[in-house]
Amino acid sequence: MTADAAPATPGRLARQRRRQSAARFWRSYRTHRAGMIGLAALVLFALMALTAPLTVGSGVAGVTDAPGAPLEAPSLDFPLGTDRFGRSVLGLVVWGSRVSLLVGLLAAVLSVVIGTVVGVTAGHFKGAYATVLMRITDWFLVMPALVLAIALATVMTRSLGTVILAIGVTSWPTTARLVRAQTLAVESRPYIERAKALGGGHWHIMSRHVLPNVMPLVLAQTTLMISSSVLAEATLAFLGLGDPTVISWGGLLQDAREAGAVSAGDWWYLVPPGIAIALVALAFTLCGRAVESVLNPRLGVAR
Amino acid sequence: MSPQDQHGTRRSHPRSPRHRTARLVAAAGAVALTVSAGLATPLNPAPQRAQAAEGKKTLTVAVAQSVDSLSPFLAVRLLSTSILRLTYEYLTDYDPGDAHPVPGLATSWKPSADKLTWTYTIRSDATWSDGEKVTAKDAAWTFDKMMTDEAAATANGSFVANFRSVSAPSPTQLVIKLKKPQATMTALDVPIVPQHIWKSVKDFSKFNNDKSFPIVGDGPFVLTDYKADSYVRLKANKDFWRGAPKFDELVFKYYKDQDAAVAALRKGEVSFVAGQPALTPAQAASLKGQKDIHVNEGPGRRFYALATNPGAKARNGQKFGDGDPSLLDQRVRNALFMAVDRKAVIDKVFQGHAVEGQGYIPPRFSTYFWKPSASQDLSYDPAKAAQLLDQAGYKKNAAGKRVGKNGKPLNYRVLCHATDPNDKAVGQYLKEWWGKLGIGMTLDCLDNVTDPWLAGKYDLAFDGWSVNPDPDFVLSIHTCGALPATPKDTGATDNFICDKTYDDLYARQLAEYDSAKRADIVKQMESRLYDLGYMNVMAYPNAVEAYRTDQIKSITTMPKAAGNIYGQDGYWSWWSAVPADSGSSSGGSSTGVIVGVVAGVVVLAAAGVFFAMRRRTTADDRE
Repeated sequence: MTADAAPATPGRLARQRRRQSAARFWRSYRTHRAGMIGLAALVLFALMALTAPLTVGSGVAGVTDAPGAPLEAPSLDFPLGTDRFGRSVLGLVVWGSRVSLLVGLLAAVLSVVIGTVVGVTAGHFKGAYATVLMRITDWFLVMPALVLAIALATVMTRSLGTVILAIGVTSWPTTARLVRAQTLAVESRPYIERAKALGGGHWHIMSRHVLPNVMPLVLAQTTLMISSSVLAEATLAFLGLGDPTVISWGGLLQDAREAGAVSAGDWWYLVPPGIAIALVALAFTLCGRAVESVLNPRLGVAR
Repeated sequence: MSPQDQHGTRRSHPRSPRHRTARLVAAAGAVALTVSAGLATPLNPAPQRAQAAEGKKTLTVAVAQSVDSLSPFLAVRLLSTSILRLTYEYLTDYDPGDAHPVPGLATSWKPSADKLTWTYTIRSDATWSDGEKVTAKDAAWTFDKMMTDEAAATANGSFVANFRSVSAPSPTQLVIKLKKPQATMTALDVPIVPQHIWKSVKDFSKFNNDKSFPIVGDGPFVLTDYKADSYVRLKANKDFWRGAPKFDELVFKYYKDQDAAVAALRKGEVSFVAGQPALTPAQAASLKGQKDIHVNEGPGRRFYALATNPGAKARNGQKFGDGDPSLLDQRVRNALFMAVDRKAVIDKVFQGHAVEGQGYIPPRFSTYFWKPSASQDLSYDPAKAAQLLDQAGYKKNAAGKRVGKNGKPLNYRVLCHATDPNDKAVGQYLKEWWGKLGIGMTLDCLDNVTDPWLAGKYDLAFDGWSVNPDPDFVLSIHTCGALPATPKDTGATDNFICDKTYDDLYARQLAEYDSAKRADIVKQMESRLYDLGYMNVMAYPNAVEAYRTDQIKSITTMPKAAGNIYGQDGYWSWWSAVPADSGSSSGGSSTGVIVGVVAGVVVLAAAGVFFAMRRRTTADDRE
């Protein structure tokens, strides 16, 4: 079957349109140098995390057969030294990227999903429902998120799920606010009124007209949220609220602090996970900013 | 009194409770630390001497544990009871050399022929810090209060439970009549308080003795000021009967972060750091080479054990908690411990700063130290452990997991103190060792282990107690009598052990006045405890602490040869500390200053160049 012979079905047209807009997006994104740098860094980190089982293997986290002596300085055998158990810090940083990125991603997705649902419904239904919901949002907004996350992580059992949940349920209010504003703007457009006149129900309006229009915003928000989630995960783990048997970057920092590496000056234990956290957060922020300015022309006067 | 608190008592190791705020501050500093760790540049390089201006000699000790109460009737934590040791004299003290009882408030003591009446001669040269004389009446009143008021028996009630009556026939004579013979009569660790001050106290369960300063006492130091989690200030009691302390002032200053305390020691802000419970191997190693700092390492008073939940129950027979039923099988408990490589724990986790665990009482107390015989020794032997589990009926399934009779794979929850890095480290080893046996393990690290502990909601737990020269207390916490009265109550029990054989031995040792015979019974008790497998001692951690030699010239350790300083059984260390007379306050950190200044200049220059370039590139946009 050739392209010109194919009948122009609606699905086909939609696919074509999407492909075109993706290409347009990519052309525009490519002009943002910082965004490209961030993307390259992200691809590198993603590759590192995905190939970790092949490069370092899960054995790197084992304490009983740790290859080195505790807290060895960097050498040829251990390019970034060893930790308090004698494990290679380089291997741990590579292995830890899996948990840090996974938690960062899932927490950001959870947070954005909650924020989108709250924002879209509050913007759509208005009235008492929206008022109550937005007051709750305000309450979460003014609560220091870290304190709330710590409280949640403390009362629940220590596991990855808890950390994801703790970050997710504390960081959604900004998304909710943004999405609600966009929803209000979209719903005031005339075609929504037409859709209503043609008998479109709440679900139809929200899912078919509002959601596609707030999606770009949500996408940009997710990218930005991941960097703060990675940071939040590291913070919680550093405060000792993560699962101590799971290797993550924040957990490595916490281990280093508990082992007294800070006052002993064992920098190789602290600096690599710290830099990794900073780089990943930076990369996601750069990407997020670029996506934002591509999708929102009013912001797009990037130099 | 809860396990967690007990774990930080006079009798127990100095494990501090959780301190969230401090951790938040630490978190805020985390980024800064990460960045500046490589530089190791002091941001505030001028060393602040701990001494005040006009030649007043102050000894500053960095501590982390909160004070639970300053009332001798309530306080159980190590720091609080250490402070009370300094402010109130006991009837007897322990010799710093070999810990035998030496005169304290009592100059001599003797039992009657029937072993039931003890007569103490109280010294006449002791005075309270408000000028009143210390008499036998004060001592009689203190004991009597603990016998009659339940609230006053909170901390030390176990000492007076067997007392029939206490009286003071004259100001220098104290007579205690017992119901049954009691071997601990020369080791009554009870602070004697001034009757004329304390008789006005209404509710002993609420009075924390921290309102009116200075607090009237008769010890080598007088408590002059206290601010919760900030500082405890004491001044020397110049009229102390044993002789005035050499330092004028003793301050316990709070550093919730151990690394911050070590940094303060390096800079001279504090004279002494003990760590909680000890300096980490990395900290000790980095401090060892430092000028003017001495790292002191002595055998610890503590044992570090893995406790097993024997099925929590109350004295009324009611069972509670949810300990795994498979642990009721002694073979399972022994197998679990045989899979623990204690040598690896010493070498890797403690890095040599501990001694391999044997019996219940640390080797430091040689009279009572016991070693398992070759036939009962549960040495590291994973193959034999697997065999034992097979015998007990916990065979491996197709997935390599050991399953119980109900077909469910074994998975134990191990309660660990989130504040203790050693718990987490050992926990990771346990997970792998038991994993090889086919047993799953969940490390349950909590800041507050008290609640699940008291409720019996754990399978295994990291446990540790400091042992006194007289082992009665640490032995008593495993008797049936220490169980809570009902599941709702709190008992003195450590982990709900109740064993008839052990209890009989306990009663026998308490009534035995011949020290050699008593030691023999105590060793039998340790043997019984070892076989039961409810308390598996993995290690005896050393006390690793450091002090500045340019502030403290000399200090008594206990035992005198290679002992510890912080948390002694007595006031010897702080009482005996001699200040260094040098005034060498500054210097030492000049290289740090130079490095810091150079780094600062470089950063500023780089920033300047950067901004200049930015200005140039945007010159076209500006008007």
